[in-house]
Amino acid sequence: MTKTRITLGARRMTAATALAAVLATLSACEAVDPTRINNPTTTDDDLAGANNPTSALVPGLRAQFARMINAYVSAAEVVSDNYSIHGTGINQDMDDPSAVTSDLVNGTGDASSGVYWNVQSLKALSDFVLNDIVPTDSDPPADLVAEASYYRGMAYLTMGEVFSFAPHEEDGPALPAAEALSNALRDLSAAKRFSIAAASAAEARAHRLLGNAQAAETAAALVLDLDPNFLHRQEYDAQTIDNTPVAFLVLRALQEMQPLPRLDFLDPKYTERTAAIAVAKAEEMHLILAEVDLAAGNLEAGRAHLVDAINMAGTRGTTEFDDNDERRNGDLSLRPRDSEILIRSDADSPYRAGLVLDRPAEGLETPTVSATSLDADSVAELSDAPDLWHALWLARQEMMFLEGRRLADLGIKLPIMLREIDQNPEINAGDPGTETMMPSWVPLTPLYAMDVYSPMELYDGEDLNAELLEMRVTIGVDMNRVLVENDASPFR
Amino acid sequence: MQKPCKNAAAVLVALFALAGGAAPALAQTGVVQGQVVDATSRRPLSDAQISIEGTGIGQLANASGRFVLLGVPAGQQVLRVALIGYEESQQEINVGAGQTVTLDVDLASTAISLDEIVVTGVGAETTRRALGASVEVLSAEEIALAPVQSVDQLLQGRVPGATVSATSAQPGTGSLINFRGISSVFNSQTPVIYVDGVRVDNDQSTAGGTGGEQSSALSDLLTADIEKIEVTKGGAASTLFGSDAATGVIQIFTKKGTPGAPRITGRVEQGVELPELKYIFDTRLTFPKQVEAGEVTGTFMEDNYFQRGTTQNYYAGVTGGTADVTYNVSGRLETRTGTQPKDGSTNYSLRGGMQASLTDDFSLEFSGSYVRHNFDRLYNGTAIADPLTTFEVADALFFSGAKTLEEALDIFLMPEITEYVNRFIFSTSARWDIRDDLNARLTVGADNRSNQQRRYQPIGFVPGEPTGQLNRYDRDFTSVSLEGGATYQWSTADGAIGTSTSIGVQGFREDETIISAFGRTFALPGTFDFDAAATRDAVEGNTEVFNGGIYFDEQLSLWDKLYLGAGFRIDAGSSFGDAIDTEFFPKATASYVLSEDLQLGFMDEFKVRAAYGQTGSFPGAFLKDRTFFAIPFRNEAAAGFSNPGNDDLGPEKTSTIEAGFDAALLNNRVGLNFTWYDARTTDALFQVPRQPVTGQGTQQENVGEIWNWGIEAAVNFLVLNTRDVAWSVGGNFQFNHNEVTDMGGVAPFSVDGSQKRVTEGMPVGSWWVTTPTDTDGDGLPDGSSREFTGGVPVPNKSGGVNTTVSMGDNLTVSVLADWAGGHQVFDWGSVWSTFNGIYRRESIRCGTEEGALDGCEHAFPIRYHTRENGATPRGKYSQNAARRAFLYDGDYFKLREVAVRYVLPESVSTPIKARRATVYATGRNLWIWSRNVMVDGELNGIAGGGLDLGGETSVTLPPNRTFRLGVEVVF
Repeated sequence: MTKTRITLGARRMTAATALAAVLATLSACEAVDPTRINNPTTTDDDLAGANNPTSALVPGLRAQFARMINAYVSAAEVVSDNYSIHGTGINQDMDDPSAVTSDLVNGTGDASSGVYWNVQSLKALSDFVLNDIVPTDSDPPADLVAEASYYRGMAYLTMGEVFSFAPHEEDGPALPAAEALSNALRDLSAAKRFSIAAASAAEARAHRLLGNAQAAETAAALVLDLDPNFLHRQEYDAQTIDNTPVAFLVLRALQEMQPLPRLDFLDPKYTERTAAIAVAKAEEMHLILAEVDLAAGNLEAGRAHLVDAINMAGTRGTTEFDDNDERRNGDLSLRPRDSEILIRSDADSPYRAGLVLDRPAEGLETPTVSATSLDADSVAELSDAPDLWHALWLARQEMMFLEGRRLADLGIKLPIMLREIDQNPEINAGDPGTETMMPSWVPLTPLYAMDVYSPMELYDGEDLNAELLEMRVTIGVDMNRVLVENDASPFR
Repeated sequence: MQKPCKNAAAVLVALFALAGGAAPALAQTGVVQGQVVDATSRRPLSDAQISIEGTGIGQLANASGRFVLLGVPAGQQVLRVALIGYEESQQEINVGAGQTVTLDVDLASTAISLDEIVVTGVGAETTRRALGASVEVLSAEEIALAPVQSVDQLLQGRVPGATVSATSAQPGTGSLINFRGISSVFNSQTPVIYVDGVRVDNDQSTAGGTGGEQSSALSDLLTADIEKIEVTKGGAASTLFGSDAATGVIQIFTKKGTPGAPRITGRVEQGVELPELKYIFDTRLTFPKQVEAGEVTGTFMEDNYFQRGTTQNYYAGVTGGTADVTYNVSGRLETRTGTQPKDGSTNYSLRGGMQASLTDDFSLEFSGSYVRHNFDRLYNGTAIADPLTTFEVADALFFSGAKTLEEALDIFLMPEITEYVNRFIFSTSARWDIRDDLNARLTVGADNRSNQQRRYQPIGFVPGEPTGQLNRYDRDFTSVSLEGGATYQWSTADGAIGTSTSIGVQGFREDETIISAFGRTFALPGTFDFDAAATRDAVEGNTEVFNGGIYFDEQLSLWDKLYLGAGFRIDAGSSFGDAIDTEFFPKATASYVLSEDLQLGFMDEFKVRAAYGQTGSFPGAFLKDRTFFAIPFRNEAAAGFSNPGNDDLGPEKTSTIEAGFDAALLNNRVGLNFTWYDARTTDALFQVPRQPVTGQGTQQENVGEIWNWGIEAAVNFLVLNTRDVAWSVGGNFQFNHNEVTDMGGVAPFSVDGSQKRVTEGMPVGSWWVTTPTDTDGDGLPDGSSREFTGGVPVPNKSGGVNTTVSMGDNLTVSVLADWAGGHQVFDWGSVWSTFNGIYRRESIRCGTEEGALDGCEHAFPIRYHTRENGATPRGKYSQNAARRAFLYDGDYFKLREVAVRYVLPESVSTPIKARRATVYATGRNLWIWSRNVMVDGELNGIAGGGLDLGGETSVTLPPNRTFRLGVEVVF
């Protein structure tokens, strides 16, 4: 074995060269320069340099509005009697109003549990645009400022519709729904430049919830005057914010939102990820007018408005699609899915045909905006107030199916988010608004009482070809009858 | 745009060439030969490192302990012989020109290696006797014998104080590693890992989600060609790493070669893998109707899905060198077919290391490695498309729309998930001994890991997207590290008092880019490109982090038995808020070799030690900034609030006091190590939620305090040490108490999923699950609320036991087992099966002692009404309202490894001109005992980024039982 040796001079030279080379190499690496860190997300500094900041931020409000609609429609439909849950995508406790806690309503997504978060997010982002951005914008477009006011108004309107109490500002107390609705009216009045009809329709709803019959009537009439076929919808995007209910109605294999059997003919309404959800429409205005009249004892006028609503719904379109929904419960047993089945709303009601469609089915027609099982001729013959009230509640339920109105109609208010209770020093567990509020008429026995029907075993097995054994189905409770019996209208 | 560092390698290679190109000088030489034996038993010791001091001539002893050193310069020389577990030997020898010196070397065994050199966490190389904090070392011999593939597996059961939990049987997944309890509620608890001084990717979640079993960067840190691994577990031993080391540091040193003629190692290994079906209940439980009707057997999955996997592993390496330049180069190929369909991997790796002494006082080291890892993966865990889960929770027919289970299985096996990893790590170091008492060092290097995952659901895949879907996930990670320092050493003339003073800089920069793309709806089958998708979408994420600082370290040695140390690091980081300039991390250590003064008959060596040190964990890359996100929505860019921002954001700091002892007893037959520690994390980073009314989400703030205390102990006992048999037994144990001591005014919040809670007075991530409650006091359950179970997802005690028996000169048998306990595990599989009317938990546990404990119907008791008199039943609780029943005792004990090695006699190896030939057989994951019968208490089948506590699993296949047979020949 030999050893390698170099002279002393060469060693010094080599060492110096090596050190210089390493240092030179190092200095070439800007990767170790800590000052070159760059945050790829927009920061406060970046925002300050934005041109036309109002125009830049309003699309964010549009997106957040779409999320809010998604969230409250999903929540309202499953907590109410419209839908029951049979799968894993939505917490099954959302189906039991008494089990809906602030912890359950604690999500930040747009599935059913994120309703509070999404309402407050829309309000806060609108506040930011209106209070912080618009005043600093050298030339804020007036129509966009009005649009921002509309979104904040809608956030307050939804807050007042869904929650009994909620804070309006950081460290602020939880204020009653009436104050939220009052703020909604303030903002909506500033939103007319965006859309008079859309703003007025929202005002009509807010006034109805406040019990302001006269103002509700005026606003609803204005909308119908402006556009007899009024329809304001929120569109969706298949790529980012899509129609949330579609996932549970159509796309997911479990199709875990299943309608109350007497509402089967309205399902699924939304068949595509991009399906628009109606925010407000003429039918609701007719029904508000009807309700004002019925509450005032003016049955004839009320009936006429009801007929108008039914006729209006009849003009709305349908869409055809191949429905592979097998109508199954979570345990895979079959739900009503044959057109031969007759349904009655409760044990005291008559059986009715035509409420259930054959499924699965190719080319199934489903309404995209409105439909109802009521026919104008029959309603025109109603003369008793209870019958008219029943028709009104049923019309509201059917025509505004999958639009979120039913929860408030039942008088149920959801609790605010646990995070708000935890973080806001003015709000403690047990305070108003922190627990689900529901009228005593909402049945709790048996479990999922508003969704049950009998008999549960309709078919001879679980196979798709299973024979239909029982053609008559009775819904456990007719919530519309309950509403009539309890005089549930805010105008009463 | 960064300038590339590519020139660095070229420059350094040129320098190596310069060193190698100098003219050699010939001298007269002789030969030194002999045998290394155990001083007590006279048993030959293989693998002892023999070298002639100052010449670079060296060799490893062969299987018979024999060595032959050629070309030893004539004259007085010093022969050094070293072997882990033995005291180093130095002998003066006189070598005559052209003559052969023959001698035997007796090595005395030592139970604790106080003279072992350690470099991690100290400014300069230090002997173990001077360390005040515990540092664990895994030697090359231990690593080479372990039947494992990656570093995380290696640590399992071998490092006192480490809790290592595997994720699943799928290739490419890593293990959760935890030292000394959970010190953060935000940051990953995986220790930082350095390879030859370069900070490397240790991310546990590096690919798109397939249901929970995530691809981990740990899985391509392979165990081949490692010289040693040093492990520090936080505290003073990690202080010099500043705000990056609260979870501990694992330093890997690769082989750079030993002088001598080229030694070539070839290894061929064949193996089989068998699925561990202990927690798989198959169709007899999940599809009873079909089984009863005779449509399928009760073991449909065992018969049609699981399979016997195979492995092939090939390795070739060469090492050698001259006195001034040494090298070690190797390549490896491993192919594996898993125990499930579409579950396999191929792993190619190349590694090279060089060391060059350019002059007497200047040396360079270079190491580089390349790993290519390809694997096929299955959907798993929480994914509806997971074939295993869907059969085990009885979803298979429902989600596939199939008529038969055979047809359903075909559908669930349609997706193709492929992934590849390309990883380069290089490091280069220079050391200049400026004077005898002063040296300077510089290390610079980089780790680049890029991986691509494609998840393809073909047209017709009903459980997913029936129109076809392609997801692609590309991640590119680069880390550049730098460490430079200088050490000045001084001692009195008699060596009684000495000091070592080090100063230096250390830091790194990380860049990570993730692009994931998504295409949906294909017109025709066979298309595998985004171009053909009807809709396409992509998202991107980028992070950049710099963290670095300067350090000072002073070590004082007194009479070679008392050692005092002090030091600090001053740190700056790009993730610190604008109000934070630098952070200060102090440390102090003391060590006293008591046996130098106190002679006890049974005690050979006894050292006591104590240390105080502070370490940190820096916040998320850009979480100091107030930011706004934007997403596309209906052809507009829609902005919203993102991070609220925090100018005061800094690292969380963990201050650790530790004390312990190392002892060698009974003629060095028993080694004992014991450490007690108390670690307080202050300024703990909590994700503090803003009030939702503000529209803002959560913001990291330094508000919490977390306390960990515990003990770590290890014992080794050389039971027998005779000429024919050597038998050793060892074990280690750790216990940890974890507690959140201050919430900083923040309300309790959940981490790592919704069921693990952070609240004052309880361990981080305590289980907090829905539990039936009696709200009206009538003794009947009528409500449900989330309640603490008193359990935690992370084991609070763990350990390992091992034994090795060497018989004769040739046969060695070693066994390793490990265990963990004190934790609860959540059984998602049983939760999900209830949707299909299958009560896995009740069916399996009823009739067993475990089931009897809770009662078979416990999961779903009757829920009563509170409003009405007479306690009307409302029906059974849903699984949502009674989750507590799905938490089980997680204690487990696993027979992890059995290895048998037989060194073939020289009569076999010599004719083929081999220095040594070895045949070996190994088994891994051979047997499981667990207190619960439903899920493997080790698994963390639902993994993600950030803090990952584990303790919950879907239907996840435990690591396979693996059997390998190999032959290794060294020429």
